[in-house]
Amino acid sequence: MDMPFYLENVSHRYSDGTLALEDVTMSMKRGERIALLGPNGSGKTTLLLHLNGILKPTSGKVHFDGKPVEYSSKALLELRRRVGFVFQDPNDQLFAPTVRQDVAFGPLNLGQSAQEVRRVVEEALDTVGMAEYAEKPPHFLSFGQKKRVALAGVLAMQPEVIIMDEPTSNLDPRGTSEILHLLLRLSRERRISLILATHDVDMVPLFADRLYILNKGRVVSEGTPRELFSDTQLIRSVNLRSPRITHLFEVLRKEDGVPVDERLPLTIGEARREVLRLLGILQDDLTGGSEVVSPWRHHPPIKNKRG
Amino acid sequence: MTEGHLHEEIDRHAHTNPLSKSSPFTKLFFVLSALVICVSLPSPIVPLAVLSVSAVLILFMARIPISFFVKMLSYPTAMLGLSCIIIALFFGDGEALAEVPLPWFTWTIFKNGVTTGIATFIRVEGALSCLFFLVLTTPMTNIFVALRRIRIPAVLVEVSLLIYRYIFVFIEITEKMTTAQELRFGNSSWLTKIRSIGLISGNLFIRTMEQGERTLTAMNARGYDGTIRMLEDLPKPSKAALVATVLFDSILLLVSIYSKDLLVV
Ligand SMILES: Nc1ncnc2c1ncn2[C@@H]1O[C@H](COP(=O)(O)OP(=O)(O)OP(=O)(O)O)[C@@H](O)[C@H]1O
Ligand SMILES: [Mg+2]
Repeated sequence: MDMPFYLENVSHRYSDGTLALEDVTMSMKRGERIALLGPNGSGKTTLLLHLNGILKPTSGKVHFDGKPVEYSSKALLELRRRVGFVFQDPNDQLFAPTVRQDVAFGPLNLGQSAQEVRRVVEEALDTVGMAEYAEKPPHFLSFGQKKRVALAGVLAMQPEVIIMDEPTSNLDPRGTSEILHLLLRLSRERRISLILATHDVDMVPLFADRLYILNKGRVVSEGTPRELFSDTQLIRSVNLRSPRITHLFEVLRKEDGVPVDERLPLTIGEARREVLRLLGILQDDLTGGSEVVSPWRHHPPIKNKRG
Repeated sequence: MTEGHLHEEIDRHAHTNPLSKSSPFTKLFFVLSALVICVSLPSPIVPLAVLSVSAVLILFMARIPISFFVKMLSYPTAMLGLSCIIIALFFGDGEALAEVPLPWFTWTIFKNGVTTGIATFIRVEGALSCLFFLVLTTPMTNIFVALRRIRIPAVLVEVSLLIYRYIFVFIEITEKMTTAQELRFGNSSWLTKIRSIGLISGNLFIRTMEQGERTLTAMNARGYDGTIRMLEDLPKPSKAALVATVLFDSILLLVSIYSKDLLVV
């Protein structure tokens, strides 16, 4: 099977004795979008660092593209070209005096010609919408812009897989939605596989095909967002919560007896369909593909009459 | 323009002034040669000439506001002035300029002490002004690439490059910590303030170690192998500016020969 990553019983113990990962088994298909969800200290970052060979498992094996990962410097360079890593704090990643020099760092390490490097840098900055900032030093940029430049630095190496640690942490709602759309675009247009670690449960159903839930270094569950978020007990037991919109419908169903479908909506889009279905406007269920036509849609909005 | 921090403003000027896109080699050549002449020749006229030319370049060619240039020069000048006064009043030997009888000894101010004090002051000001010309008109990235091209050891350039970037990160961190402390303790007393500064510096030290480790990890993740490679696109050096610099340097040399005995009080 076409499988970029396969982790086999991976455990990791840090030098101070912390067992940060315990017997983790995980797989990823090409083009897949995977989210790792878990509370603070559950081992998400540690797991991600195994995927491009920055950490080596204490026991168990990491396979990439059907072969066990080798840790010679030549093999690692090749692995890191194919598997890009965007760190949580862009200040850790952006070290060069200008945006352009920073994005060029990876491609130059791969030994590409200056001309080729210039081209890929330009393209990567264009993709993340930061081309006009190329000559600026990183400290003139906002947090969200730094984050996008960090992503460009990885994109410029033309990876097959991109790993992102907490891509939306510390971003405002607009920044969050921009990064999210950018990632989805990369996934759809270039078939780049994505793995990201997050606490942001509202984002997960919009993004992920599949989800791993980690707690205390172990994988406690694996499945689609729909499968895992309907198991409220599991979600609560690891100190997480469901998406807000899902919670609302759960309450409506349990407390108010509203005949909400058993498969609770996870996103605003799904919730919209469910509401319209409940109002008798839409026939099929929330996953159906029919065009939504609400009877209110073509009437002028009702004006609030004030005294 | 908003009133920002000095370091941010310097950087902003370096990136936006009319000379920022001109060749860093030309500027480095001017600055390094002027610097060497300035500090190695005895004449007091030479540093004054360097100071004037640098000031003209900074103010009229690069169009840096005079208030900003004066502000930048004022910080080192204050320190320098103090040191030079001390040199003038307490150092030297030979011919006395004045003798001040004090109850327990006689304080002698020497002629060559005063001369050294003044000469040192002028020289350092000259050297500073041409360094400021470089710093205010050239984006750091171009300076790094140029230094590397002229065979300055790679380690030195790489260390400077990292320092340049992370100074800004740490200033930001320090500011956050200071604000947080002021919110908790306030600026209540001198003693608390000293204690807060102690805590912050200790904390900052640990932060730098951690930052170093994380940055290295991130660099490794993009294939770092011990050499920081850079795109070396630099503007071509201007022949005219190079020739002008050579002429200027020759004039300085001539002037210094004819004026070397000028500064004798
Ligand atoms: N370099 C290290 N040395 C020792 N222990 C570490 C190190 N890095 C992480 N740990 C420990 O390993 C465990 C897992 O940490 P990790 O950073 O992988 O968690 P995480 O899920 O990414 O958490 P967060 O959501 O806070 O980012 C924690 O108990 C942490 O304290
Ligand atoms: Mg983490």
